[in-house]
This record gives sequence, structure tokens and C-alpha cells, in this order.
Amino acid sequence: MSGRHVIGRLAAFADGQLDAADTRRVDAHLATCGPCRTAFEDHRFAAALLRDLKPAQAPSGVWASIDAARSVATTRGASSSTRAWRLAYPAVAVVLFTALALWLSAPRSQPWDVVRVDAGDQRLAAGAWVDTTAGDTARLRIGEIGTVEVAPGSRMRLVSARPDEHRLSLAHGRISAEIVAPPRIFFVETPASTVVDLGCAYTMEVDQDGVGLLRVTGGWAALEWGERESLVPAGASAPTRPEVGPGTPAFDDASDRLRQALLDFDFGASGRASLDVILAEARDRDTLTLWHLMWRVDVGERAHVFDRIAALTPLPAGVERDKALALEPDTMRRWRDELAWTW
Amino acid sequence: MVSLKEQKVTPAVIDACRRGDREAFRVLYEAHKDKVYSMALYFFRGDAATAADVTQDVFLKLMDKVGQFRGQSDFSTWLHRFAANACVDRTRRRWWRMTTVDPVGLDQRPSASSHEEDYLKAETARSIQEAIAELTPKIRVAIVLRYFSDLSYEEMAAALNCSEGTVASRLSRGHQVLARRLRRASMSALGEKP
Repeated sequence: MSGRHVIGRLAAFADGQLDAADTRRVDAHLATCGPCRTAFEDHRFAAALLRDLKPAQAPSGVWASIDAARSVATTRGASSSTRAWRLAYPAVAVVLFTALALWLSAPRSQPWDVVRVDAGDQRLAAGAWVDTTAGDTARLRIGEIGTVEVAPGSRMRLVSARPDEHRLSLAHGRISAEIVAPPRIFFVETPASTVVDLGCAYTMEVDQDGVGLLRVTGGWAALEWGERESLVPAGASAPTRPEVGPGTPAFDDASDRLRQALLDFDFGASGRASLDVILAEARDRDTLTLWHLMWRVDVGERAHVFDRIAALTPLPAGVERDKALALEPDTMRRWRDELAWTW
Repeated sequence: MVSLKEQKVTPAVIDACRRGDREAFRVLYEAHKDKVYSMALYFFRGDAATAADVTQDVFLKLMDKVGQFRGQSDFSTWLHRFAANACVDRTRRRWWRMTTVDPVGLDQRPSASSHEEDYLKAETARSIQEAIAELTPKIRVAIVLRYFSDLSYEEMAAALNCSEGTVASRLSRGHQVLARRLRRASMSALGEKP
């Protein structure tokens, strides 16, 4: 065997990054060293596969988000000088505002428009309702960031369509959304929660009484209602109820007993009895449910939830019992980040 | 007429960016968006939403700092440094991680009617994506930079804030681990023991 092993230098060798003397040394070593020759074969095998990868195309909605963020920053930066200019030249300002009003009132298509694809790409104005009959499905294109399918027998309204925000309101029925955009650009209001897209695919259904269910099939979504928030990853769902808001999320493959006990806990009157069932039934990934329950149980019961999570998944560094029981924000965030590996 | 994507990022374009020219930013974005997006997509196991988010962060930061660029090569290194840092930083906020993302991006799934070769390519890409995602962040970012940027080792070292030797060593290690995992995956697919 010639010289030291060269496994750490194989990439540079294969990519022609070594000088002539080093290249000769690696070459000579490979001729006599079996392990390094095997490693070089591995390198070539992986490199050949990697070289074959084709770049993916960035979604068109990304530029719209960048442009919107930049426009907001520019507008804020220019506001003080613009104000002084307007005071000095009021007549010109009137003309400009009139022209702007006329320009804004003229109908034109914008990349962030919401259009009804099944009705010949009809643009929806803010405030417009979409009603589907029993055998009727509506398909909406949400600017450049995704699509929404409105199921039969649904009633939904477009609240706003702007570069930095798309907001729908679902009165009743069911929608399926697929959104590829940065988080917190797409929102769906319901009678008992707002669904906040964090980059995901999901269905949201609401019955005539305002009782709802969010089921996430890809990525993450959040349900928000006042101070109450439920984070829902793919494979999980969370119910909503009028006057209460979002229930606690749970994975769809959790046991029936856990899911029923959770409904009783969130919306019934059987607090402690239900909690005992939930704690007993919880598996590793059901720490999603337990982590949310830390906020929702009575203070005296929080320690039981903490202990059950710690028994299922070892506590990460930096998460201390006292701070977790006090719901200290940094501690809870760090803990969630670690637990989320199993969600 | 030359499309935005086909326009070259010349020093004049970068100068125009420094003056806040929106169209110049668009040229710059169109020229590099797919590379940045692909880096993030492979870094985050095909998580299209996080890749889109990272791409947005990178270009917003780029626009903010464009006045500090000194030249073309400097620009390329800066862009990829932002991209590498954005990927690694995002792993620290990893609750965004998708658990059941569709690998290789939402729009690249082979359909039932796809040609067999296309299907196999997509399956291979899926396996590679899974294997890359198992690498440590430092090795993973070196691998995605190597295959989705046009940077030299010297430029990669500048982008990753390490020596060229460290880049070479991370790439060597990354290829070795990937090869083992991919060989094992292909043997499992054939029903053989690894």
C-alpha cells in the first residue's frame, strides 16, 4: 500500500481539485489500497446519481411574495418624504389621487387574483360568495400559490385577495386546499376558528351548526381563535366548536379511545377521567396531543401530562421541569422542536 | 425577445439592483431561483413549502444586502452563502419539518401513465432525496451546494465559511454515506438482504 489512506480526499480527487503531485499520490494509493478503492467506487456511484438530478422549478408564487414584501418595505421607507411633498403641492396631489382612483377602479387581472376555474376563469371580487349545490363542485385558483376545491353543498366567501394575504370565509360545507407558499399568506375563517396555512394541504369542513374539523394531509396548518391555538401536522386533525374554538389536535391513527376521550375533554364535562384515558393511551407521536394539553389542563394536572411526555420521549437539553410546568415560552418552544421529530 | 430567465446577470444588472430597480431584481431572481429552490428542496426532503419559504428569505436578504456586492463572483458566493445559511438556520426551527411530504416536489410525481423510464428516474430521485435528508446538516449543505450551484471549491469554502479541505472532506464523507444508503435501498427494492 502506498502512503496514508485518501478517503477524505476522494471528492477533491474526483472533481479535479488536487494539484498534479497530490493527484499522482492519490492515484498511486488507490492502485494498492483495497478499502480506499472501494470507497472511490462508492464515491463514483453516488456522484453519478447526484449528477443526474434535475433542478426543480421554484413555484411562481414565490416572486409574488418577494415583490409584496419589498413593496411594503419601500412604501414604509418613502412615507415621510411623500407626506412633505404632498403638503407643498396639493393641487398635483389631487390630480395624482384622481388618476390613481381611476386606475384602481379599472378592472384588470392581477397575479394574486382568486379565479373560479370551473366558471371560465371568472375573477372573484372581495366579498363575493361561492355557493355550490348538491351536485356541484367549484374549483378556485388562489393567485399563484395554490388551489381550493369547494365541495357540493358549501357556502364560502372571498374576504380578501392581496399579494401578501388571501383570506376566505367558510360558512358551511367542505373545502380542500393545496397551498405552496410561505406560511401565513393563506387563511380560511370558519365560525369557530381561523385556519392558518403554514405550507400545506388540508380539508376543512363545517356543518350548519358551525361544528368543524380540520384534517391536514401535507405540511402544517394552525387553528387560531383568540388566545387558543392548535398546530396540526400532516396525518393529524383537530375539531372546532362554536363558543370554544379549536380542540386539541390528534393523529388520525391514534386509538379510538384516545380520540373519544379527547373530544370529551375538549368539549364535554369529564375532565380528569378523560385525561387519564388520554395519558394511558398515548404513544410516542401522541406527544403532539399531550404537548397541547399542557396549556389546557388545570394547573394541578399539568405535572401528570409533563411526566407522561417525559416517559414517552426523553427530555431534551434545556427543558427543565419547573420551567415547563410554568409554560415558560422558550422552554416550551425548545421542547416542541424536539418532540416534533416524532410528529 | 429574450425572456427574463434567459437574461444574463451582468454587472449592469447588479448595479441596477443596487439602485433598487425592480426589473433588475427580477432578472437576478429568474437567473438563480431554481438553483436556490432546488438546494432547499433537497435539503428539506422535498418539503416544497419550506423550500419556497427559504427561497423567499434568501432573495429578500439578497435585495437588502445587494449594495455590498463587489462583483460577479462575489455575488454568486454571497447568494449561495445566504442559501446555505438559510437552510442550516431553518433546521434549528425544525418543527416546520413536514412528516409526510411528497418527495421531489408536488409537481414532479410520476403519473400512472408516465413512461417507465420517467417513473424510475422519479423513484431514484426520491431515494436520493431520502438519503440526503439523513445526512448531518453540514454535510448535507455541502452536497446540495456541489450539485445545485456552479461554485468552485474555493467559492464553496467561502460560502460555507470553512477551508477548501473541509469542503472536500465533507463531500467525500457525504458521497460515501449516500452510496451505502442508496446501494442498500436498491438492494431492498430488489428483495435482497442489505
